[in-house]
Amino acid sequence: MGDKIKKGILYVCLVILALACLLPFYLMMINSTRSGAEIVTSFSMLPGKSLRENWEVITNYFNLFQGMKNSLLIAIPVTLLSGYFSAITAFALAMYKFKGRGVIFGVILVFMMIPSQLSLIGFYNLVSSLKLINSYIPLIVPAIASPGIVFFLKQYLESVLAPSLLEAARIDGASELYIFHKIVLPIMMPGIATMSIGTFIGSWNNYLLPLVLLTKTEKFTLPVLVASLKSSTDIVKNQGATYLSVAISVIPIIIAFIFFSRYIIDSIGAGAVKE
Amino acid sequence: MAGNSSTRKKKRNVNTAGYFFVFPFVVVFLIFNVYPVVRTFYLSFFNYKGYGDLEWKGLDNYTRVFTDKFFWRALGNTCKIWGVNIVLQLGLAFLLTIVFSDMKYRIKGLGVFRAIFYLPNLIAATSVAFLFRTLLDFQYGTLNQMLMSIGLIDATTFANPQSIVNWLGNPRVAPFVVSIIQAWMWFGNSFILLMAGVQGINRDYFEAAAIDGAGRWTSFAKITIPLLRPILIYVAITSLIGGLQLFDIPFLINDQGTSGNPEGKLQTVVMYLYRFGFEGGTKKQVGYASAIAYVLFLIILIVSVLEFKFMNRKEAD
Amino acid sequence: MKLKKLAAVTLAGAMAASLVACGGNSGNSNTDANTDNNAVVDEDKNTDDSASDDSSSGNGDKLVIWTLAVDLEDMAAKYQEETGVECEVVVTAPADYPTKVETAILAGETEPDIIVGEPQMLDAYYEAGLCADLDALGAKDHEGEIVDYVWEKGKSPDGVQRAVSYQITPAGIYYRRDIAQEVFGTEDPEEIGKLFADYSTILETAKTLKDKGYKIFASDGEINYFANKEAWVVDDTLNVAQSRLDYMDLCVSLYQGGFTANAAAWSSPWYTAMAGEIPAYDASVNVWDEDALAEAAEGAEMTQVFAYGLPSWGVLTMRDNYKETEGKWGVCAGPSSGFGGGTYIGISENSERKEDAWKFIEWVCFNQDTLDWWLDYSKGDTVSNKETLDRHKDDENATYGNQKLYQFWLKEAEKIDLSIVTPYDTAISDAWNNAITSIKTGEKDKEAAIKEFYDVVESTYPEITVNR
Repeated sequence: MGDKIKKGILYVCLVILALACLLPFYLMMINSTRSGAEIVTSFSMLPGKSLRENWEVITNYFNLFQGMKNSLLIAIPVTLLSGYFSAITAFALAMYKFKGRGVIFGVILVFMMIPSQLSLIGFYNLVSSLKLINSYIPLIVPAIASPGIVFFLKQYLESVLAPSLLEAARIDGASELYIFHKIVLPIMMPGIATMSIGTFIGSWNNYLLPLVLLTKTEKFTLPVLVASLKSSTDIVKNQGATYLSVAISVIPIIIAFIFFSRYIIDSIGAGAVKE
Repeated sequence: MAGNSSTRKKKRNVNTAGYFFVFPFVVVFLIFNVYPVVRTFYLSFFNYKGYGDLEWKGLDNYTRVFTDKFFWRALGNTCKIWGVNIVLQLGLAFLLTIVFSDMKYRIKGLGVFRAIFYLPNLIAATSVAFLFRTLLDFQYGTLNQMLMSIGLIDATTFANPQSIVNWLGNPRVAPFVVSIIQAWMWFGNSFILLMAGVQGINRDYFEAAAIDGAGRWTSFAKITIPLLRPILIYVAITSLIGGLQLFDIPFLINDQGTSGNPEGKLQTVVMYLYRFGFEGGTKKQVGYASAIAYVLFLIILIVSVLEFKFMNRKEAD
Repeated sequence: MKLKKLAAVTLAGAMAASLVACGGNSGNSNTDANTDNNAVVDEDKNTDDSASDDSSSGNGDKLVIWTLAVDLEDMAAKYQEETGVECEVVVTAPADYPTKVETAILAGETEPDIIVGEPQMLDAYYEAGLCADLDALGAKDHEGEIVDYVWEKGKSPDGVQRAVSYQITPAGIYYRRDIAQEVFGTEDPEEIGKLFADYSTILETAKTLKDKGYKIFASDGEINYFANKEAWVVDDTLNVAQSRLDYMDLCVSLYQGGFTANAAAWSSPWYTAMAGEIPAYDASVNVWDEDALAEAAEGAEMTQVFAYGLPSWGVLTMRDNYKETEGKWGVCAGPSSGFGGGTYIGISENSERKEDAWKFIEWVCFNQDTLDWWLDYSKGDTVSNKETLDRHKDDENATYGNQKLYQFWLKEAEKIDLSIVTPYDTAISDAWNNAITSIKTGEKDKEAAIKEFYDVVESTYPEITVNR
């Protein structure tokens, strides 16, 4: 009996904690349908009727869907490039013997430890002198060299790929590139997918770098655009509009999460256990 | 490693392909990873306004960092915010791990709870910042509306800006609020990592321990914790590196920007760096910001090494 | 061993590359291989989108205006209506604005075409070379048309015209005539001005108002514009004038005496108080919603704010917020002459539409029809054009009890001395205001707060000497 009560208490605690995680989002959604006046005068758990007005206030100021599109325009190529090039680099480092291999691997290890702030100033300086401010190139192309992902995929590859498989293919006359694309890549796919989820989320949520590199509103990514709402007195004065802006930026992620939560969570666990 | 059965000629071809495969990585790596880091280092020896000429300063920027009281204050703020955060975050994650790995209670619904606990980590920090900035507003925020509706505070509270429910404006409260928000964002992540570690532990250990008469706590202390150590080290180090780079939430949580008000208590090292390196209109000092970046790196490096050593020594004991 | 060699070579190569790039960066190396790289986002993947991005990347006929305040937004809309020239206006919060402008122009972006700056930002703009030469576009033709101090501030140290402002910005006290009549028995600007003659008088006025249930100001920083009497930095030395210390004491007294509505300047409650009644202590009541306000009025104690200290462009802020109190306001002199802000308009050095941009500036600053429209539209903003000012000097402003505002502003404007503006002003004033906040909220005593202020200035600007 005692155990059952204890178990019950545990469940109650867990549910409370779960509510603490969800409540801010719930309030956000509720408040985005209420008027600024309603929000500041009273507290309610039920939706209001001001969604349309709030929507008009924010569309007068910015286009969050443009921001979403921009974020996708960056996050998708970043995910693809980092997945593909990290895989091919990991493959080369794991399966070929060539001069400099050790150095590259060593440098990769060092750069995994380096905080991004260390390169921020130099990076900005480089981008500015290349006249690439407001271009997506500096936000996308660097994904080709993602030390952390290469490191993970190298470890992954060494555990799943038997070198004899490559030998067999070579004897059949397959080219190295063909071997990578047709044999190695499919085998690495689970590992790449694992890393890609994190890459995509990281790129989608990135704030500081786009903040520094983008000056045109129509180029802003979603986080930068959301943060710019503080420039609009109309939105700042109306909490309903503020909540709605945040909600629009958050809801697509929540929906995606409902569908992919298993994969996302597995990818996090996998990342840690491997490293 | 590869192919010791192939002919010499073929072997040479094979390894040439390795160069070909790493080439894009190396080029991009040199341009976008190595060069910026070197460039930052180079700039840290100059006075640079973001335009015009570089003025050689030698080590002046570095001596300035070490004697700059506000740099150290920012570092102190960052550490405090991170310290409270990591205790909450890991503590909560640990408790949850114990609960869900308990053989006796066999709590169900791990999948659902895990997903819910993780959700805040998925949301962009900018959105989180604006969400809480609005929810926690002193006079107009929903949290204080809730507190008022259940009678914990009344309207006269709002005449006093030093009130504890001035969540983001009271210098004694605001850093804790940021810590709690950070913990709220990250405990689910830590929980997943720890849980993955526990699930990786061979069940036989626990069963053997149970046969030997070990209680739940004994088997937790003797089996779970030691086997989770690598993951704990991983979580602690990544959290520290991330924590020392804290920027988005304290920068956007109120209107005070890089000043980190109230009373500068929310000014983190990266906000301090941003203030000198990027903020326009106040005479940029890019060289000084670069030196701050390198000192921050140095600190992260030292602390990571110490943390790593410390955690490993515990294992040896 | 070979690996080590390679590592050394790689590092050396990277170093060399960095040095080469450094050399190229400090000068004006015009590598314009990337004139239109904005849209080139990973070519093979996003051809459709890069095409659509292209259309919005500024090569069209749009005049792109980046501004700090809504004034230029209204003007651009009118300009577009009259001339058919398409204008895109981007309003950015003042805290982020200089960062954005510097980043864009120093990186060679052709957008924006038109930039603005307040006086304390201009020196940095000139030094960084952000503003195009307006003399080359014909600014000399307008020599003498603008109030002198404004015209001079628009010149970079080498004497070239680089910015023009359509405004003059003397400061005054905006007060409620109805409250003045009730409490002081007069609403005459001369008489009310005497109530703000010096700081001790202001505190007495505040007490009188408090006894009658009113707040003298919404925030405690309303005298801000009048406290700026000496430069913050003189000969590279920090100058904390007595007027700064007096101002500090005044703010603390106003706050601690409960004489203000505890609103932060430029926050929502601060704007709201312009419209009349606000809850006295109970700020939880929504002050924008009339029903809620009426409801609260029954239970809670209500109050009203008597005065605001604002520059002449404050009429715009008033216009957007006074609602029912329209016509009840007056303007009188503050404890000293003061000034604040002012939108100086310049053209980006990189603009590809300098001539069109100049036409816009001419239309804003020198066109009599525009200025007449603006005076009316803004409900009494004060322009810098001498001819317009002269024609309107006897105008009576209905919003302000038929006061002849322009005469008042012109008189005040004669005392403006912009030489006390330094590029350090924003940062140093912020630090000073932080010190004031620390004292008034009891976080620090005066001595500690001022010491902290010195420390901030010293560590932020090593080139400034701080004599404690």
